[in-house]
Amino acid sequence: MSLTEGILCSKSHEYLREHDGEYTIGLTDYAIEQLGDIVFLELPDVGAEFHKGEVFATIESVKAASEIYMPISGKIVEINESVVDNPEILNESPYEKGWLVKIQSESAAIDSIDLLEYDDYKEEIA
Amino acid sequence: MTKKTFLHDEQIKLGARMIEFAGWMMPVQYSSIIDEHKTVRENVGLFDVSHMGEVYVYGKDSLAFLNKLVPQDVSRLTDSKAIYCQLLNKEGGIIDDLIIYKLETEKYLIIVNASRIDEDLNWMVRNSLGFNVEIENQSHNYSLLAIQGPKAVDLMDKMGLKKENQPEFFSIKRAELFNINLFVSRTGYTGEDGFEILVKNEFSELLWNYIVEAGQEFGLKPIGLGARDTLRLEAALHLYGNDLDEKTTPIEAGLSWSVSKTKSADYNGKETIQKQLAQGTDKKLVGLKMLERAIARHEHEVYHNDELIGVVTSGGVSPILNENIALAYVKNNKDICIGSMVQVKIREKFYKAELVKRPFVQKKNKV
Repeated sequence: MSLTEGILCSKSHEYLREHDGEYTIGLTDYAIEQLGDIVFLELPDVGAEFHKGEVFATIESVKAASEIYMPISGKIVEINESVVDNPEILNESPYEKGWLVKIQSESAAIDSIDLLEYDDYKEEIA
Repeated sequence: MTKKTFLHDEQIKLGARMIEFAGWMMPVQYSSIIDEHKTVRENVGLFDVSHMGEVYVYGKDSLAFLNKLVPQDVSRLTDSKAIYCQLLNKEGGIIDDLIIYKLETEKYLIIVNASRIDEDLNWMVRNSLGFNVEIENQSHNYSLLAIQGPKAVDLMDKMGLKKENQPEFFSIKRAELFNINLFVSRTGYTGEDGFEILVKNEFSELLWNYIVEAGQEFGLKPIGLGARDTLRLEAALHLYGNDLDEKTTPIEAGLSWSVSKTKSADYNGKETIQKQLAQGTDKKLVGLKMLERAIARHEHEVYHNDELIGVVTSGGVSPILNENIALAYVKNNKDICIGSMVQVKIREKFYKAELVKRPFVQKKNKV
């Protein structure tokens, strides 16, 4: 299976993957490549709730800080501690080891209406 | 319109990602900023810095004219020597920081920041009244390449400028590389030993490709502006627009070493500079080392015991120290000194930092 199969992407370069009723959020390989060497990541606390479009995390590359937005509304149920300790994991493995948070969402179906499948996303940003 | 250097296409071929900087399309990175940074600290890197400006000053009064513009004593310059200075306004504020090279008697070359060429030229022309000088902007005719790193000397030797003939630190000389006539100076903006090469535009592509080829055995890589910034920050070299501006004097900026204390000639801003040398300044530039993982950046506020004391002007990661470092202006107060603990406000949170000595990484460029 391709790493990008079944994911949905936002135009602000977050991806969303559903698994057993939970949603994993990360950053697309395109976003990671544009950012360059990633050196710092600030993730929210478990239990925090965010609306679609809200900033929930900050990522810094050598060059600059960028904000990461919720692709859908939801509540944080797990954060990836290992990428906080070793942000370079994002450069190496954005879709596997480099996920950011897992959330539960009541409104995923409606919130994901403007998200794109990976191939369409690639076309959009090309 | 955004300008392109004569090396634009060669850089794209080498995988450069281009951004706009000071009106130019410039490479921000090729492989990775951290990898490029380490290449310059360990081996040798090649930079295209053709966006920088070249201004010639000549004529009978050129020395007196330059001495009016900068607080350095330009009369100390002998032929082929260079000096780091600042162009000051009447209040002592910095219009630009630059290097003046004395090519020969009554003939000087000034290398200025790309973002400041227009301001510099306007100011020079306004100040030239009554002086017998010619000010000639040659920026459009020259490309500037930099070769920086511990292996720069060996690379230059291999390219035909033998070690015994290479210019000394802060000197410039005419030379010939691959049958191309050019100027080579022992200057740079990385804290490493190295050279800057001033070459006519029509030969720059040829020269670039020769250097890339000759540099292979020394591990040479092309370096973008991203690593140029992390390199200069580790060496605590100021960036105009971040750490220097028209409201800041060289004394406040920690550049007193580049201000003559004995120069008799009058110069723009002299009154302020002399007063600050005698009585001190309200603000001072300091180095910060973050004690927590967050990265301080330009415009983040600095606090000491809950009091706002200043602002970060440059900040980022140090790939060599593997720490986050910053330059900041803070209140010039005895209690705020090397070893003091402060806090930097980043995205509404406070992170601990310590005042440390500059440069963060010891410079190795003085030979």
